[in-house]
Amino acid sequence: MVWRWGLFLYMSAVTVAAFLYAPLANKLFEQTRIIYWHIPVAWVTVVAFLVCGVESVRYLRSRDLRHDAGAASAASLGLLFCALATVTGAIFSKGMWGAYWNWDPRQTSIFFLLLIYAAYGTLRAAVEEPARRARLSAVYGLFAAAVTPLLIFVVPRLFFTLHPDPIVNAGGKLEMHPRMFQVFMASLVGFTVLFFWVYSLEVRIRLAALRADGAWTGTGKDRAA
Amino acid sequence: MRTAWAVFAKDVRTELRARYALSATFVFALATLAIVSYAVGPFGGRAELLAAFLWTVLLFAASAGLAQAFVREMERRTWLTLRLVASPGAILLGKWGVNLALLLATEAVVVPMFLVLFGVSFASLPAFLAVLVLASVGLSAAITLVSALLAQARSHGALVPALAFPLIVPVLMAAVTGTKRALVEPGAAVTELRILAAYAGILVALGIVLAEFVMED
Amino acid sequence: MRVEARGLGVRLGGRVVFAALSFDWEGPGVIAVTGANGSGKTTLLKVVAGLLAPSRGSIAWREGARALKPHDARKGLGFVSPELGLYEDLSARENLAFFAGARGLAWSDADAERWLARMGLAGRGNDRLAGYSSGMKQRVKLAFALMARPGLVLLDEPGSNLDDAGRALLAGLVEEAARTALVVVATNDPAEAAWAQARVELAA
Repeated sequence: MVWRWGLFLYMSAVTVAAFLYAPLANKLFEQTRIIYWHIPVAWVTVVAFLVCGVESVRYLRSRDLRHDAGAASAASLGLLFCALATVTGAIFSKGMWGAYWNWDPRQTSIFFLLLIYAAYGTLRAAVEEPARRARLSAVYGLFAAAVTPLLIFVVPRLFFTLHPDPIVNAGGKLEMHPRMFQVFMASLVGFTVLFFWVYSLEVRIRLAALRADGAWTGTGKDRAA
Repeated sequence: MRTAWAVFAKDVRTELRARYALSATFVFALATLAIVSYAVGPFGGRAELLAAFLWTVLLFAASAGLAQAFVREMERRTWLTLRLVASPGAILLGKWGVNLALLLATEAVVVPMFLVLFGVSFASLPAFLAVLVLASVGLSAAITLVSALLAQARSHGALVPALAFPLIVPVLMAAVTGTKRALVEPGAAVTELRILAAYAGILVALGIVLAEFVMED
Repeated sequence: MRVEARGLGVRLGGRVVFAALSFDWEGPGVIAVTGANGSGKTTLLKVVAGLLAPSRGSIAWREGARALKPHDARKGLGFVSPELGLYEDLSARENLAFFAGARGLAWSDADAERWLARMGLAGRGNDRLAGYSSGMKQRVKLAFALMARPGLVLLDEPGSNLDDAGRALLAGLVEEAARTALVVVATNDPAEAAWAQARVELAA
């Protein structure tokens, strides 16, 4: 209970600091303050994706529906954070380059992730039986996870990107003003904590719902050779 | 694998007799092509647009015609029979082979029509053909995999395009860019070809590994 | 072949079909699985065939001392069921040839002739199955089940759709198969159940 309020105060402090405490990056304007939200949120999206993938593999190996609950919760939260990342990115894009969407590779990647999360959710909605749903969404999640690195890492390397990496860290290293860096990291940590907290809540809710339906949530370790 | 070949041969034979999927693929391709041609006219011109149109047509056709591979087995009650005699990996490979053959057969007719309707000439025909074939491999693999997954779900074939699309996006992007380059540049579109090949390889390999899990019941 | 099951439970569509089923079946011989409609006979047979993964519990197939993987077990298995249909766009000959090819069995036209004759279908072997009567299709299904000389034969209501001649044929086939293989018959027909040396009753 207490630390829920603690988190709230922490994030509020970060928000205030983002506007008042941290200075502006060279040659950029107020819109750049959005990186305190945009990047952490995009980072959480990737984390959620990884969690979903790991839990999917663990489900396929153990057939324990707890892992399926983990994968599903990570995916639904990932969808939310991905939408946030897309929107904040579009706002930044409008401010910087005049257009909300220009299909630069990073934007394309985040759009692609959005599609994946949405498709995953659609698949889960289409299958009612818990064990089958878990199995099929785990397989789909793994396909998506296998294809994603190709799109996110390979394609941008090959094509020009508008993304401000060259501006904020010209040398390829993190070259932020110390204050910017502090607020940025604080925001990153805050969002990550927020994600894992809501994630744990969602998992518990899903498991409770499964048990209420009478589904067999036990492990399948004693199954066929 | 011999079993995969048996599945492939059986499906080809069935398809040639009933021709459901073949008709669906052709009709969708032709209909889309007709609409595009009507809207744009013979002098549509720009390489990006032409590449986009071509792949739109092919995507429609593939989604419509290739998605039913597994559902038809279930509807006819032959699904369990098939699973009794063939391993999941073999079934997947065989079905993918059929889908690829269907797609290539459709392209053999539709692509020349496309070229004629839009007065297209290629700077590099070999590059275009390579992109076409490799992208078809990836496209058919993705749709086959997703239709295998969805065959167990309630809505059967209806959701296949929606779920397949995220898996297809990389293929489409590379295919459109590669086609565009083949239209205007005389060299080979090597980057795109590499991406397409890698993608197809990943999907097929992963598909075979995960086939057991997909087809459990 | 031996089939060992421990604590088998299957839950489908929110309903528990059966729970905590355990048995040791050993061939050669006939075992009957009886029970009212909806008691799960077909489902149980599907699990024994390795076509349906049980929701809980375990099942194992053994040949002699060797444990078989599900895929290998399926190879040595014959299954006749209303839920296992045949390819209607193909002829009986083509169906059997496909099944043989898929399983890697040696198969020739002579083999096909023999089986078709045995099933009373000689001369109709090249017609598409879509044109067959249900009784004729059932005979082809029997041929499919027995063509691989299986160690385990699963028969789900095998006498359905068969005329008297068909039933006699079936009885003969079962008797012959039971000399070397384990035959499991799921049925409500007392005559068919009478073939068995042991019986398993499923409660609805």
